[in-house]
Amino acid sequence: MPSRILMNNAFLHFLTLLLFKQKGKHIGAVLISVIIIFLLSSVLFISSSLQNTLLGTLENQSDFTLSRVQAGKAINTPSDWLDKVLEINGISKVAPRVYGRYFFTPREKSFLVVGVDLFDEQSSKELQSLVKGLDLKSFLSTDSMLVGEGVKAFLSEHYYKDSFSFKTPQGSFKKVKIQQTLPSQTNLIANDMIIMSIDLAREVFGLGEDEVTDITFNVPNDAEWDNIIGKLHLLFYDVRVVEKREIRKAYENLYNYKGGLFLILYLVAMVTFMLILYQRYSMVYSTERKEIGILRAVGWSIKDILKLKFYETAVVVLVSFVLGVALAYLYVFIWDAPLLSQIFLGGANLPNQVEFVPVLEFGLLGSIFLFYAIPFLAAVLIPAWKIAVTPPKEAML
Amino acid sequence: MMIRVEGINKIFNEGTPQAFEALKSIDLEVAKGETMILSGVSGSGKSTLLSLIAALDKPSSGKIVVEGELISKLPDLHASAYRAKSIGFIFQHFNLLESLSVEENVIAPLINSGFDIVSIKQMAAKSMQSAAISHKASQQVKELSGGEKQRCAIARALVHEPELIICDEPTANLDRENSLKFIEILQSLHQRGKTIIVATHDPLFETLPFVSKVVHMEDGSIV
Repeated sequence: MPSRILMNNAFLHFLTLLLFKQKGKHIGAVLISVIIIFLLSSVLFISSSLQNTLLGTLENQSDFTLSRVQAGKAINTPSDWLDKVLEINGISKVAPRVYGRYFFTPREKSFLVVGVDLFDEQSSKELQSLVKGLDLKSFLSTDSMLVGEGVKAFLSEHYYKDSFSFKTPQGSFKKVKIQQTLPSQTNLIANDMIIMSIDLAREVFGLGEDEVTDITFNVPNDAEWDNIIGKLHLLFYDVRVVEKREIRKAYENLYNYKGGLFLILYLVAMVTFMLILYQRYSMVYSTERKEIGILRAVGWSIKDILKLKFYETAVVVLVSFVLGVALAYLYVFIWDAPLLSQIFLGGANLPNQVEFVPVLEFGLLGSIFLFYAIPFLAAVLIPAWKIAVTPPKEAML
Repeated sequence: MMIRVEGINKIFNEGTPQAFEALKSIDLEVAKGETMILSGVSGSGKSTLLSLIAALDKPSSGKIVVEGELISKLPDLHASAYRAKSIGFIFQHFNLLESLSVEENVIAPLINSGFDIVSIKQMAAKSMQSAAISHKASQQVKELSGGEKQRCAIARALVHEPELIICDEPTANLDRENSLKFIEILQSLHQRGKTIIVATHDPLFETLPFVSKVVHMEDGSIV
């Protein structure tokens, strides 16, 4: 029944009629709007998805990383510091880490080698969740490694199909078997990553048995964070303690900065488009002007005209917005944003094919809508109002 | 009295060096059911007077009373309602919505009337029949001949059954045959008791038997 009432509503009938009969008039505006909304939504989808994935990864990491420094540069950390750190009240889950970049000199590329203590409960749990079906026993029984998709592709290109020989700082070679490739969903963080046992990583980097690159730990009580950092500085003097929240801020800033650049471009495009629209609707001898004059002459009030123009524009705005956002969703989350993703990931060490995890922030979409819809409505309604208030006779000329 | 015009003046671009006095102290009366011809050359002020009577514009001074209502100072909402209810205006250049069909043009004055679309279409059908344009109902206006456009404009002017029909140079863009057809429609409207004002310099109108009054205008004044 309500749909029947709507169908019989004369205003809606006339509005639909004008939209369909004058679609040529709206197609240009819809096309430009769709392109603008599509680009902006794509950029925001990419940036939100990247931030979300990276911050999600960060959630599973330790609250703090401690490393020894000399002349401001990180040097190897003695592994007996682990016990000293553990003695501080409020600290838990202390773990050693051997972690660093291995440079593949001929091509100036590097891999991120992560040595994992597979006897540590948390580390092995994280690894198991990352690589389903991994047989830890067989992984540990041989010198083997798990590699990211980028590493796998790069090594294959250089004929290292099943194994790779690392050159140690002592000049000897250490052959390591490629056990498995990490799943493509982890490409964003693990594309250039190599995971191996901590002892093997020590050998590759030439670290002594009593050395690690850094130590990670948690402080469950947030209020104690600053105290703990102070205690560590008193205990060791020559250390740098990096908080997880600093890394989090760095990630956020990186993608906000890239997204911000696009926002500026969007604003420039929007202002230009709105000026074009405004000028089009203000044209002295436009058909728009005559149409308003005719409707006024046959008894339409200024309010009726503005109501018609409002709904007409609202339909154009909504259609463009929905199309733009839907296209952006397909482009980013189904087709993995070819071209545009390289702007965000272009600085990557190895070519990366990232699968974006769908993230829809309705607050963000609402903001895009308002930033687009309000200027659009204003660009149409202000000139329409100006024409509507002139005597119909003049408008029809 | 249906229409009473008293001391109307209309000055365009008032207060500027380009000020132009289009109407000077016009007094006029039209009785209900009367058909009046406003004659005069182009620029004599006929169209301006018609647009003031139809509340399409406001006079600089003086007053216009239609069926007891002072329409010369009506605010927009009331002026629009007055046009929508009481006036059927037929323009020299037809002033139709070119992208729409005949029927869609005819229903335009009734869109905000509160009737549902089914009733509006019934009223439009009746009106198109009176104007002998029913056979072109679904045709795009831009595809019509001059005479057909004129009949579409007539159907639109009659769709809401107005008491007052105002025609501004209705035959200026028509050939003789179509002009005669238009006069026939006008005569039937007169017979239905409508009050009609026609501004024209077409001599065909001056000798029509149903015309009650011919008012000649010159240089913004009635002579």
